[in-house]
Amino acid sequence: MSDALLSIDKLTKTYTTGSALLASGKTMIRAVDAVSFTIANGETLGLVGESGCGKSTLGRCVTRLLDVSSGSITLAGTDITRQRGAALRETRAGLQMIFQDPYASLNPRRRVRDIVAEPLIVHHRGTRRDIRDNVAALIQAVGLRSEHLDRFPHEFSGGQRQRVGIARALALSPKLIVADEPVSALDVSVQAQIINLLTDLKRERGIAFLFIAHDLGVVRQIADRVAVMYLGNIIELGATEQILAAPAHPYTEALISAVPVADPARAAHKTRIVLAGDPPSPANPPRGCPFHPRCGYATDICKTTKPALEVLNDGRFTACHHPRQG
Amino acid sequence: MAATILRRLIHMIAVLFGISVLVFLIFFATPGANPADRIAGKNASPQTIARVEKEFGLNRPLPVQYVIMMKKLFISRNLTSFVNLGEKVVPQVFKAAPITLSLVSGAAVIWIVFAIVIGALAAAFRNGWVDRTLMVLSLIGISMPVFWVATMANLITQGVWHHTWLFSWVPPLGYVDFTASPLGWFKALIIPWITLAILYIGLYARVLRAALIETMQEDFIRTARAKGLTERQVLLRHALRCSLVSVVTLFGLDFGVLVGGGALLTEVVFGLQGVGYLTYQALETLDLPMIMATVIYASVFVVVSNAVVDIVYAAFDPRMRLRR
Amino acid sequence: MSNLLDVTDLAVSFRTRSGLIRAVDGVSFSIAEREILGIVGESGSGKSLTVLAILDLINDPNVVIAGSIRFKGTELIGQKPGVLRRLRGGAIAMIFQDPMTALTPVFTIGAQIAEQIRIHTELSRHAARSRAVDLLDAVGLPDPARAAARYPQELSGGQRQRAVIAMALSCNPALLLADEPTTALDVTVQAQILELIRKLRDDFNSAVILITHNLGVVAETADRVAVMYSGRIVESASTTALFADPHHPYTWGLLGSMPALDGIRRPRLATIQGLPPALNRRPPGCAFSPRCAFVRPACINARPPLTGTEHQVACIIPAPERATARTQALAA
Ligand SMILES: Nc1ncnc2c1ncn2[C@@H]1O[C@H](COP(=O)(O)OP(=O)(O)OP(=O)(O)O)[C@@H](O)[C@H]1O
Ligand SMILES: Nc1ncnc2c1ncn2[C@@H]1O[C@H](COP(=O)(O)OP(=O)(O)OP(=O)(O)O)[C@@H](O)[C@H]1O
Ligand code: SF4
Ligand SMILES: [Mg+2]
Ligand SMILES: [Mg+2]
Repeated sequence: MSDALLSIDKLTKTYTTGSALLASGKTMIRAVDAVSFTIANGETLGLVGESGCGKSTLGRCVTRLLDVSSGSITLAGTDITRQRGAALRETRAGLQMIFQDPYASLNPRRRVRDIVAEPLIVHHRGTRRDIRDNVAALIQAVGLRSEHLDRFPHEFSGGQRQRVGIARALALSPKLIVADEPVSALDVSVQAQIINLLTDLKRERGIAFLFIAHDLGVVRQIADRVAVMYLGNIIELGATEQILAAPAHPYTEALISAVPVADPARAAHKTRIVLAGDPPSPANPPRGCPFHPRCGYATDICKTTKPALEVLNDGRFTACHHPRQG
Repeated sequence: MAATILRRLIHMIAVLFGISVLVFLIFFATPGANPADRIAGKNASPQTIARVEKEFGLNRPLPVQYVIMMKKLFISRNLTSFVNLGEKVVPQVFKAAPITLSLVSGAAVIWIVFAIVIGALAAAFRNGWVDRTLMVLSLIGISMPVFWVATMANLITQGVWHHTWLFSWVPPLGYVDFTASPLGWFKALIIPWITLAILYIGLYARVLRAALIETMQEDFIRTARAKGLTERQVLLRHALRCSLVSVVTLFGLDFGVLVGGGALLTEVVFGLQGVGYLTYQALETLDLPMIMATVIYASVFVVVSNAVVDIVYAAFDPRMRLRR
Repeated sequence: MSNLLDVTDLAVSFRTRSGLIRAVDGVSFSIAEREILGIVGESGSGKSLTVLAILDLINDPNVVIAGSIRFKGTELIGQKPGVLRRLRGGAIAMIFQDPMTALTPVFTIGAQIAEQIRIHTELSRHAARSRAVDLLDAVGLPDPARAAARYPQELSGGQRQRAVIAMALSCNPALLLADEPTTALDVTVQAQILELIRKLRDDFNSAVILITHNLGVVAETADRVAVMYSGRIVESASTTALFADPHHPYTWGLLGSMPALDGIRRPRLATIQGLPPALNRRPPGCAFSPRCAFVRPACINARPPLTGTEHQVACIIPAPERATARTQALAA
């Protein structure tokens, strides 16, 4: 796709762990394994999967906070995979990140005013006055009041801190925001406020999001398309409603059925697929389909041949030898 | 576990090699001074200097000099002092080592036992009067200079009160070999042991108390309480075991340093001719071969005891085994 | 049938420089044998303190616990430490939120379970050990004999939580207090653990108090639900009744702010304005009144009591007006 804002091609990230002294102690972890996808202008792609499947690693590679091992990242037609120095700084202006723990990502010794103004100052966006007006506008846009500008992060609740983080990310009018579990640490009622805020921003400013989450409900609320990750691989990718209503991959199916439903009437006769065991370690992934040891539909081919991410008749992509749909 | 030990041993050997090279370079390759002059000592004759040059291969390249030196230290062990002419250095160190080891190990047993008891008591009664008293006492222990404590101990046990029933058993200053008379050995060392231990009791008790109090805030302590354990069982079984790690780390360093000559003051005051004493003398007379031997010996001890501690650590605390 | 546990007017307060802070402010509930009671509420609403108070496990010298907690007819508040200690891990066991930190890192799983068994029974070391292995098997840990010899950090989060549950069950507790047992886990693992908790009642005859902030978890697991807000129970009913016809505006808000997995996708989620009050600045009347869209003068002056028999609610909106108010709330 040429009109894609972001296009990721066979992106792989391996971590090497273990002692530097003994070669035998070294292990290679393929945290992200040849992942490809695109995000169009103004589109929100939800990225879901369980702990350790590589979501954050992928997000950090996209924002170039981590160096990729192989593959390429193209943003608005420019290959940014190995950019450095001034070019990278320029790219980062249009590519912001929001983190899960708003407290850890805000400097505790700086006032909100300075935190939000920092990217503007670093990138020389306007005079002092412009910057001041800009900051005031931003803080309103995220639902805080100008009296909040002179406070420190610890004087805020979790939801308010997340708003400050969002204001900072918005400062340079980015085209794409990578949001790494921005609402996971928040209570439901506060989470709803932040989701609404992000939905509004997305609509009003046409910002594209790579929205990382492990809560499928949250993803459904905000994402246009969703990518499901398992053990470093994208195993299903398609329109949110399509996938949630009728998952094709057995893992997606299990993931959806595991989400507890706040409706006892329906909970009583929903089909539960309780997976056995835990996700295997990315340090030694199983041969064949990464999901086969826990999959109820696995056959011999699943144990030997890794299924590729292929498009189904209904337009979605899935990596399974025996898809349930399409 | 075996892998941990192996990894630690390889690491240890690498560190020792590094230290020996470093020490060698400091003595043999610092610019501005001729190593032969230094080895030969003050006011040496030109013949002696020439002999030193030949014996240590000082006109040959540095790596060869290093090998010769190491050979003299570890293989032929015939490194001789030029200050005390003809005196073989390595056997002297070997003679001094058991004295220092006896002194430090005995003191270590005392300080560990007392520190654990005091630390645990203070933590159990934290902020009460028991805790406060013990912590003030340990602070006093830490702040008393060893030299002063040793001198006072001597004064009391050897001087003023030596003839009372309390201290009449204390033998004259000096060391008694364990193989010659175990009881004599014990009597000769008990006062130096206590003297050396006082500082560390205070230090370790405070560290342990802090670690225990921190551990008592952990989630697993609440689990232990929820199981129905008594407060004492919670403290002694669950918290103490996890807190000892911080003490073990300290111990490895302190023990190594002390055995490597750090007990110098205690040794000098109590007339124990240990490694510290030897270093002290060598430094006074600028006896380079002797200094070299004691420094290398000291570093061997620091590094070995550190490795042992790491291994003990892993046995103690499974968390260490997994972390790479 | 008599109740296993009756909690009446429980208050947990902390002495601070600025006076007493009531973190749990008059909570009453009871639980029958083999019943699963869910307690839901947002962070800071006092869920953990409520259950910790039952076993006197709040580790703070400044805590003051008042009210009454009767377990099988015996009053627990002010009880001798020895009596409480025998209950802990015996008749009343507890599971905590974070399985990563809930087990002592320097002992094996098996040893920790055996330790608890030996506190409460006369079993020999060996017999306790083999019972530990049986328990690990019962909670579905693969290869239980090997798992018993492992240290906590050698197991995954889900496996650890199973081990914690095995430990809690080791002395056949009549009551299991589970404080957010699945919050730290992945959904697929959460599903496994919830299935296990549902099964417990049948295999071990335990009643369970299940604390969570996830309405879905209670809906799928509990028989009855109590909703907590700012240290008080604002609504309590059977799970079916509560979800079919919630009475309290706060419950409406909670349900509305949960993004659902099916049904129509609302363009925006319903939200509750503002934040819960600070514990030392709780309004004199209904604690929810500053955020409530249906607030009336009466709410501000006096605290509405928890009324009703089967379906209890602490709100003065008269029953006939509830339905319209709720439709209004959802539309907003
Ligand atoms: N710096 C690192 N060094 C080695 N391994 C790492 C590093 N960071 C992450 N990993 C491993 O890479 C895998 C992917 O981690 P990542 O943080 O991307 O997962 P995630 O999907 O974001 O999980 P979560 O939902 O827990 O945030 C995990 O197995 C993790 O243990
Ligand atoms: N030791 C303490 N001293 C003072 N205040 C405390 C103490 N322990 C808890 N609190 C306060 O009591 C309130 C209730 O705490 P509690 O832990 O019961 O909440 P919770 O509902 O379990 O929340 P969460 O979902 O975050 O676990 C909180 O506001 C907390 O700040
Ligand atoms: S490829 Fe096979 S093992 Fe993998 S998900 Fe599909 S059916 Fe299951
Ligand atoms: Mg992550
Ligand atoms: Mg809690």
